[in-house]
Amino acid sequence: MSRCVQIRFRRVNAAGFVLLALSCGIQVQAGSLTVSVKQRNARPLVGAVITLETPALPAAPPVAAVMDQVNLAFVPDVLVIPLHSRVQFPNSDVVSHQVYSFSSARQFQLPLYRGKPYPPVAFDQPGVVTLGCNIHDNMLAYIVVTGAPYFGRTGADGEWTAPSLPPGKYSLRVWHPLLNEPQEVEHVVESNAEHDRIDLQLERELRPAPLMGRPRSWEY
Amino acid sequence: MGILNRTRALWLAASACAPAAAAAAEWELALDLRAVSSDGRESFLDNGQGKLRFDEDHQGIQLGRFRAAWNQPLGEVFSAHVEASTWDDDDKNPIDLTEAYLEYRPYPRAGLKTRVRLGAFYPPMSLESRALGWETPYTITPSAISSWIGEEIRTVGLEGQVDWLGTRLGHSFDLQLSAAVFAWNDPAGTMLALHGFALHDRQTTLFGRVGAPQSDPGSAKKELFHEIDDRPGYYVGAQARYLDRAVLNVLHYDNRADPTVEDPEIRDFAWLTKFDAVALRLESGNGWTAILQALDGVTYIAPGGYWLEWKFDSQSALISRREGAHMLALRYDEFNVLFMGDPSISNSEDGNAWALAYSYEPGTRWRFALEWLRVESDVPARVELLGEPAFATESKLEFSARYSLSGSF
Repeated sequence: MSRCVQIRFRRVNAAGFVLLALSCGIQVQAGSLTVSVKQRNARPLVGAVITLETPALPAAPPVAAVMDQVNLAFVPDVLVIPLHSRVQFPNSDVVSHQVYSFSSARQFQLPLYRGKPYPPVAFDQPGVVTLGCNIHDNMLAYIVVTGAPYFGRTGADGEWTAPSLPPGKYSLRVWHPLLNEPQEVEHVVESNAEHDRIDLQLERELRPAPLMGRPRSWEY
Repeated sequence: MGILNRTRALWLAASACAPAAAAAAEWELALDLRAVSSDGRESFLDNGQGKLRFDEDHQGIQLGRFRAAWNQPLGEVFSAHVEASTWDDDDKNPIDLTEAYLEYRPYPRAGLKTRVRLGAFYPPMSLESRALGWETPYTITPSAISSWIGEEIRTVGLEGQVDWLGTRLGHSFDLQLSAAVFAWNDPAGTMLALHGFALHDRQTTLFGRVGAPQSDPGSAKKELFHEIDDRPGYYVGAQARYLDRAVLNVLHYDNRADPTVEDPEIRDFAWLTKFDAVALRLESGNGWTAILQALDGVTYIAPGGYWLEWKFDSQSALISRREGAHMLALRYDEFNVLFMGDPSISNSEDGNAWALAYSYEPGTRWRFALEWLRVESDVPARVELLGEPAFATESKLEFSARYSLSGSF
């Protein structure tokens, strides 16, 4: 059965009013919710972090996740983890790294020297943690720590599908490093439906991405 | 207790005292060979007034550079960097240092990153010399501005840098401020008066000189890294970066030399040299790069209290297109030196240069480059000193094959 989802906008902050709901009501499998995010130019927004929160449900159970360092880059570039998860930084490069974060959600400094395993880092506060390397200034990645019971990242088609959702009021957030001044935008989704789909399109262009992929022989 | 046991006990004790973990030391070796075809006049490296490193007498297979670099972490936030090179010309030492410094690099806090360097290194001014060993990746020969910096300028002192990491805080900008105090660079300016600007990739070494021994027994020995007047110099700089796609860099430099003081050992004065440098680099994200640079300065000596003044300036514009491992670059340079004193003394010059280069860097080890360079210059001193015409057009076709190795301990 096709059904329209009522979407209201709630402005989180001055810069956050960037999402525009377009349409809704295409049937998906029973109990699921598909979120589709498109850029302003109608291209799919790949790798956007979607979280669905509801006061009725606790955060997803913590996981053991990995943020690796491969060829002077963090892999993956964005990692989404539930609250109280632990993240291992294995360093698959032959060179040393010094990973740091000064984000308020989790501040840490972690030297990663070859052949020396380090204990995982625990993330006990929700928020976006920006990672850098004190030796290689160009390295950049994000860990999104969420208290949401449901979360994921959009695929190459700009879509993410949540598993069967209990009826209730959900708060949907979309985050992407290139959303203007990477901040969160909140929507309230009232959903007691079985087959839902939400189509979102950005009202503003994404920020240009920082330049990546320089030859190794370039210092900066 | 046998020797073996004592050795083992010492080793165990040393292990216990060592930090829990240590970053690996890293090394690099790079050999750059050239094949050169040149109609250049006698090079400034051989006391001529030619603008090129490889002149008519230095064609065929040449050593571009052999470079060895070492980076030694000292604990977690300190490290030592050493760069040694040989250029296979008539310098004092067969191999010598271009840079050597200690670095203090604490972890960024609250969006601020600090870096302190102590030793000998380049001031932060070239947006072109971004490859290892202060080389330009766009061409074989750097701009007239970078060529001059490599030839005459080195910070031998203490530099502090503070970066505001705006992009890590959700903004689109990063900002950097730099300041340094330095010494041992008082002869800087000599080369501008001796032969003006040149276009070359040869960097003067810390204990070496600019090419062959001085042929004129009354002239400066072309050794640049000496302290003559015991007065430190300084520079201050700033850089703004927009997502690394647009970078604007400014620097004000003043070596605060006392131009009346002379060092008989190197037969040179303390040259009072001041300049402002500005550079802008734009990168499109799909392979296009544009770099604009400008330098404007003045240098003085005052033998017997009689002040002599040279003004100098240079501008450069480069555009390049990178497609995977391939890169094409075109650059135009202008350069001028203007002697402000007696017009009968021909110590001025006026010139320009075009460079077109293709390079191919298939992996981490090999880099191949082909460059055509043409320099036009009007140097009245050629008439008086060499009996040559003042105006010269010099051109060069140069192929470079560079092989690099790196590793860590």
